[in-house]
Amino acid sequence: MDIRDELIEHVPRLRRYARALINNRELADDLVQDTLERAIARTELFRSGTDLRAWLFTIMHNIFVNQVRKSAARGTHLSVDDENVPEADYAVPATQTGALEVRDLDYALQRLPVEQRQVVLLVGLEEMSYADVALALGIPIGTVMSRLSRGRERLRALMAGSVPRANLKVVR
Amino acid sequence: MSEQQNPVTQDEIHAYVDGTLSEARRADVERELERNPELAARASDFFALNNLLHDRYDRVLNEPLPARLRVAAPAPERVAVRAAANWTRFAGLAATLVLGVGIGWGVHDGMGGSGASGGATTMAGGGDLRAVSAEGTERFAQQAALAHVVYMPTVVRPDAMDESQEQDFVKWLANRLGTNVHAPMLSKSGFELSGGRLLPGEDGEVAQFMYHNAQGERVTLCISHRKTSANTTAFKLYQDGPVNVFYWVDGDFGYALSGGIDRKVLLQLAHDVYAQLTSR
Repeated sequence: MDIRDELIEHVPRLRRYARALINNRELADDLVQDTLERAIARTELFRSGTDLRAWLFTIMHNIFVNQVRKSAARGTHLSVDDENVPEADYAVPATQTGALEVRDLDYALQRLPVEQRQVVLLVGLEEMSYADVALALGIPIGTVMSRLSRGRERLRALMAGSVPRANLKVVR
Repeated sequence: MSEQQNPVTQDEIHAYVDGTLSEARRADVERELERNPELAARASDFFALNNLLHDRYDRVLNEPLPARLRVAAPAPERVAVRAAANWTRFAGLAATLVLGVGIGWGVHDGMGGSGASGGATTMAGGGDLRAVSAEGTERFAQQAALAHVVYMPTVVRPDAMDESQEQDFVKWLANRLGTNVHAPMLSKSGFELSGGRLLPGEDGEVAQFMYHNAQGERVTLCISHRKTSANTTAFKLYQDGPVNVFYWVDGDFGYALSGGIDRKVLLQLAHDVYAQLTSR
């Protein structure tokens, strides 16, 4: 199968991750576009039989890290607003608390150091294994675990009071 | 005793939350969580966070791709595969129901039993009635069949909801769907409610209720709140491998009853559901 065909399968997931990472539709899609362009330009570097998803997330990570570095040097900020998202398009009539929760989530995520945000999202949203996260980000697995732990604790603190406390009961 | 030599670590709490912990250690972690409320609160917050992330961002998966992200024109069947992937993504989230119940905790009732709430349902009468898009409802049936296959195995030992949990869950669902939904009782036909969850659907969220009988046979009922109202349709049958789905549309709602059971029995159940959900 042409690698392009396989790439298509991953675009929605790349978009989802990028959106959560950057929280701005245009910039997130820019990142996905850059990722796809680079992937297509370098398809010969992709070894078939290995995990295409991991490879794509690695490319995206490298581009993203470069962008963050550059924008930090320029002193500009990535916008965290995304007022253009037409919530009504996909939302069922939301309760008041529902709306607060998602705003809080966006807000809290953007207040997480980038390194922690990446790990929290790759694990929690993309549902990557810790080992795959380590591969994609090029860090040891111990670092994945400590970033995950600190990231989740931080998010928990940032969202204290707004995350509905689930009564944990084990479903066997 | 084992935890003396082998205390539960932070990493294991995360692995537990992410469903990657070994079966052997799960029991240890669960014992520890029962003993340690602070730890249990953290773990459940981590669960809730993962759920919130999906709640917030999974919609991106369904957004149409802007032209600049189209690598090549996607073939139609590819689109179908992607839709399927969305439904399977949640497989293995055995905690979904429990969290659902937890999140619904705040609603305390002023309403009586479910009979009263059912009676309070008002259909938007005189609304804009449109012909049902056959394609749309069939896709709904297809997704219902898929959801049936994907989710039924995760309810291994139906952790029967007690009555108050069930009410909370039903209220939470009603909130999310923006309507009064209640799970019909099918005990007359030997099926008991064993759980429910909310799934992302193309047309908004879909409530899924699961039932099982003494023989371990399972059926699921999906209810979606449609964006467009439609005249009531007859039952239609959709078949996907061993799974039969009877589906129909009634006003603002689409229903799909799925099960790998005898078609006649399933049809009888569908009639039963229909009778209960339209008695208004």
